[in-house]
Amino acid sequence: MKFRRYAGDAAALFILCAALVAVFFPYMFILIASLKDAAAINRPLDWGFTPTLANWAAVVRSDIPRQAWNSLVVGALTAAISLATGAPAAYAFSRFRVGGDAARFVVLSAQMLPPAVLIVPLFLLMYNIRLLNTLWAVTAAHLTFILPFVVWFLIGFFDDIPRDLEEQAMVDGCTQWQAFYRVLLPTARPGLGAAALFAFILSWNDLFYALLLSGGDSRTLPVGVAGYWTFRGVELGQMSAAILLSITPMIVLSFLVQRYLVRGFGGGIVKG
Amino acid sequence: MRPPLLHSRSVDETMIPFKYRLLLPMAVTLAAVLIYPLLFSLWASLHDYRLTAVGDVRWVGLEHYAALATNRSFWNAMRNTVIFVAVAVGLEFALGFLLAILLHRATPFRHVFRALLLTPAFITPIAVGLIFRFLLNSQLGVIPHLLRSVGVDVDWFGPNLALFSLALIDVWQWTPFMMLLLLAGLEALPPEPFEAARVDGATGWQALRHITFPLMRPVILASLLIRMLDAFKVYEYVYAITRGGPGESTETIQYHIYRVGFLYYRAGEAAAMAYVLMAVILLFVVVLFYVVRREATS
Repeated sequence: MKFRRYAGDAAALFILCAALVAVFFPYMFILIASLKDAAAINRPLDWGFTPTLANWAAVVRSDIPRQAWNSLVVGALTAAISLATGAPAAYAFSRFRVGGDAARFVVLSAQMLPPAVLIVPLFLLMYNIRLLNTLWAVTAAHLTFILPFVVWFLIGFFDDIPRDLEEQAMVDGCTQWQAFYRVLLPTARPGLGAAALFAFILSWNDLFYALLLSGGDSRTLPVGVAGYWTFRGVELGQMSAAILLSITPMIVLSFLVQRYLVRGFGGGIVKG
Repeated sequence: MRPPLLHSRSVDETMIPFKYRLLLPMAVTLAAVLIYPLLFSLWASLHDYRLTAVGDVRWVGLEHYAALATNRSFWNAMRNTVIFVAVAVGLEFALGFLLAILLHRATPFRHVFRALLLTPAFITPIAVGLIFRFLLNSQLGVIPHLLRSVGVDVDWFGPNLALFSLALIDVWQWTPFMMLLLLAGLEALPPEPFEAARVDGATGWQALRHITFPLMRPVILASLLIRMLDAFKVYEYVYAITRGGPGESTETIQYHIYRVGFLYYRAGEAAAMAYVLMAVILLFVVVLFYVVRREATS
């Protein structure tokens, strides 16, 4: 019996390690490429190259840091607006069942909408109100899917918090608004934090909207990274460094919010 | 600090019930960024609307929709997308289920494995596309070099394989998420049937087949739908690597709409395609919602 247990563990560990190699191999490959000069990049199997920080220095001097800053601003704005407008709405859906199942269905559908439906009108709208190629245009586009996502996420979260707390607060003389704002929201802080981080991550990672709605100085990081698609050999080291700059913060954040991932993106099928 | 609109006496006096006041900020935001574009898009799909001549717009009724029936590029893009989704989500399910089962049993370090394996789900798809374009490049990539050293020569982004390669990239990025959804489903299963099966001497395989799979059916269905909905929108890998080529062999629907709307400026036609795509997506969401709702109430 004990032997079977160890054999099972060994087989499981072997497969999991293989999966881990498959996941980390691409990360390692670009980390190494970011330390190679153009000549060494032409010899992918040569491990005897002399590491250089020239690519990283070039990326730091390029538009990439500015674009990272833009992504940070758009992500923070999107998260803030989504939370400020989405939390009260989620509360209404959860506690007062406004609109019932139909409302929940609309919220779920909204976050699944293909961006192709919205991009042309958003583009023309932003052009007409002279916000095209600004960070506001990108923020507005990101709200189209991130705000419904945040509402959906928080509905599930509020559903799980017992009503007693707010009812007690109202017996004690709080208004409905105070019961929500002073009693429920502080209780839901972990959920609000996770929602904000997810909102930020979704915004930081978007290419489609940012590509068409930002330009020049307002380009976001994914647009900057996509700019390396011409694939000139001399730029591949820089491309690798820029990619690492864009993905490393998200990998770090992932460890904070992973336990909420199923709840957020699982459509509500299981309470993760 | 209170948002004035929600709390002010003047709004109180208009007798809007509290629950509707809570909805106001979201409703206003979504009306501006979501409802208005949706309606405009519907309007554009019924007109000959070109980005090069926004002053000269002509009503065409359902012409754009009717023309789609015989539009070969559109159906080619639909076909490519369906193949992409089927290959990618199918493989993700098979691999994800295997990994979920391994992480569900008491394997040592399983929490560490889970955390590290999940990282691809958090990074931007454009970066993933570019990484794999580099990794699989026949001159500069490690993988073709390694394969050649054992005598295999494959052109990953040639006409025969490109769509399949893009699907494999999707598998790399999204299998971990599929794994997590299924793992959550496994962890929510009741323990009693498994204990009863063990007492009756069932093998692990029998338990998997006769207990785990039937009980997991709703979770499996929902996981597949969620991934399919997302995979349908594939765009970044195509943009990063093939731009629809060689020929139109990797042109997916989202990329095709982008090309018609923004590279050819035929906004009305693109809007009609987008509405057809939206109808397909909504059909999937209806099924997903039904599955989730039935589980939540049972």
